[in-house]
Amino acid sequence: MEITTQHFLVLSAILFTLGVIGVLVKRNPIVIFMCVELMLNAANLSFVALGRHFGQINGQMYVIFALAVAAAEVSVGLGIIVAIFRSKESINIDEVNLMKF
Amino acid sequence: MNPNMTPNLMAVLPTLIIMVTGMVVLIGDSCLKGWKSTKSLSAIVTLIGIAAAGFFALSRITEDSIIVFGGAVVIDSFSNGTALILLATAAFATLLAMTYLENKNLNLGEYYALVLFSTSGSMLMASANDLIVLFIAIEILSVALYVLAGFARTDEKSEESALKYFLLGAFAAGFLLYGIALIYGGTAGAAGNGGTTNLTLISEFLRHTNGVANPMLMAGIALLLVGLGFKAGLVPFHMWTPDVYEGAPTSVTAYMAAGAKIGAFAAIVRVFNAFIPISPYWLIALQVLAVLTMFGGNLLAIVQENVKRMLAYSSIAHAGYLLVGVCAMAGNPRAHDTALGAILFYLFGYMLVTMGSFGILIWLSKRGHDCTTMNDLKGLAKTDPTAAYTMLIFMLSLAGIPLTVGFFGKLQIFNASLMAGQVGIAISMAVASIISVYYYLKVVWTMCFQEPDGNTVEGRATSSFGVNVTVGLSAIGCVLFGILPQTLQFLINASNSIMRP
Repeated sequence: MEITTQHFLVLSAILFTLGVIGVLVKRNPIVIFMCVELMLNAANLSFVALGRHFGQINGQMYVIFALAVAAAEVSVGLGIIVAIFRSKESINIDEVNLMKF
Repeated sequence: MNPNMTPNLMAVLPTLIIMVTGMVVLIGDSCLKGWKSTKSLSAIVTLIGIAAAGFFALSRITEDSIIVFGGAVVIDSFSNGTALILLATAAFATLLAMTYLENKNLNLGEYYALVLFSTSGSMLMASANDLIVLFIAIEILSVALYVLAGFARTDEKSEESALKYFLLGAFAAGFLLYGIALIYGGTAGAAGNGGTTNLTLISEFLRHTNGVANPMLMAGIALLLVGLGFKAGLVPFHMWTPDVYEGAPTSVTAYMAAGAKIGAFAAIVRVFNAFIPISPYWLIALQVLAVLTMFGGNLLAIVQENVKRMLAYSSIAHAGYLLVGVCAMAGNPRAHDTALGAILFYLFGYMLVTMGSFGILIWLSKRGHDCTTMNDLKGLAKTDPTAAYTMLIFMLSLAGIPLTVGFFGKLQIFNASLMAGQVGIAISMAVASIISVYYYLKVVWTMCFQEPDGNTVEGRATSSFGVNVTVGLSAIGCVLFGILPQTLQFLINASNSIMRP
């Protein structure tokens, strides 16, 4: 069976959905963040597949941008998580609950 | 340097100045760490950079639109007008922070650098003409704001707000990027055989296909709306707003409430301006969001005891009013320009009042005690009449009482909405505004008609030039532009050069 662009798009939709579900059900900020990365990479996969399908370089180029942004987010996010771990000795999202409506 | 690059760089000069100033402050501050007045120097350099960028943005406000960087960035009066509002926000955030951060033992030069970086991001959002540029601009804005929210490293609430903002912001970024990918796929044939993320090309493509949209494009627009809705704090996606606003240091909250919202709405205007040819498919969703946001924000604000939290919910409600303006812009070509002018005017008024009311909270904050709750404000009119009556002006403006800038902002959006023939949504805006009067006046009542008790802040707590200037300018602007709104005509006209759908 030949692998077509549609297969890539379906795979990326599945990855994206898995990422969303992961963010909603997981309780560890690092795992949540990994799921966010999964969502971003699902988008990247779509970009690459569509760029190849269209014969355009744009798709590949966008992925580089998205990767750079994701790297910047990781550095800030892990910094925040480390700061919280230092003061709480735990990073369970259920224990970070000082403010509620 | 490649000579062809010069016009491009000149076009984005205000944004570039802000970015470079940010880097200078960041490096300069760490090089001069030992010196006593480094922090005031950082603040002064920041203000000089903002003034220079503001000068260039103002000098170009009437020029026609120019498209640079291969169509990725558009500079028109809308982006210059938004840039001016954003620069004012950054200047106020700098002035508010100077003494406040010192009192909290947080006087780090990084604050000013981060404010500048996020301002450059939001300025870029206002001039993005390509969805990828928009995505990167949003991330420049957000990543700096995540750090700012957690700026009080030792304060658990501040850390918590940073974590919440970061996780939900990154989640929203995922939706945004996937939405952009789907739009790229859904516009096949827009650029040669391939798809595009360029808003001009998307708009042309949609007109040529006679407004028929395919499922992939529709899903893309929906995900894009979710992503932008998170940033703007629209109701089903607003959960982070109150927590982040409450936990972040007050000067950061003021900056976030104004700067991030202005950037997000500039982006929403740009994006949905391009999607107007297929507005029948998404306008109803935007209208539902507007109504939910107005009522959700106002009803939840009523029960708040914390003033910062109350202002957070009120900022959600104001996002709803702005969304009414966006609906009017998209709903009817006749109302297009009026609605855009109204949105810009509203953003300006909202910025003044937000900086002013958070400025009052900073004014009343003492070393070791932040003024945040209603209890802190009890009987303030007796202990500190100046603060109480200035706060009164801001509350009346937020509620939209005549003779304040907030009234004219609401009036113009209301007019635009009626002009677009969206009577139902205009009426729900009026009803929501009436509900909001209750909790704004509750603050006034607490300040003026309750007796002070032990909790009330006594007299002027922090005497700071920066806070005085911010609160004073916002109060004067609030009344002046409320009585003479035509002085802001240049901002309202600024929308006339935005790309037509």
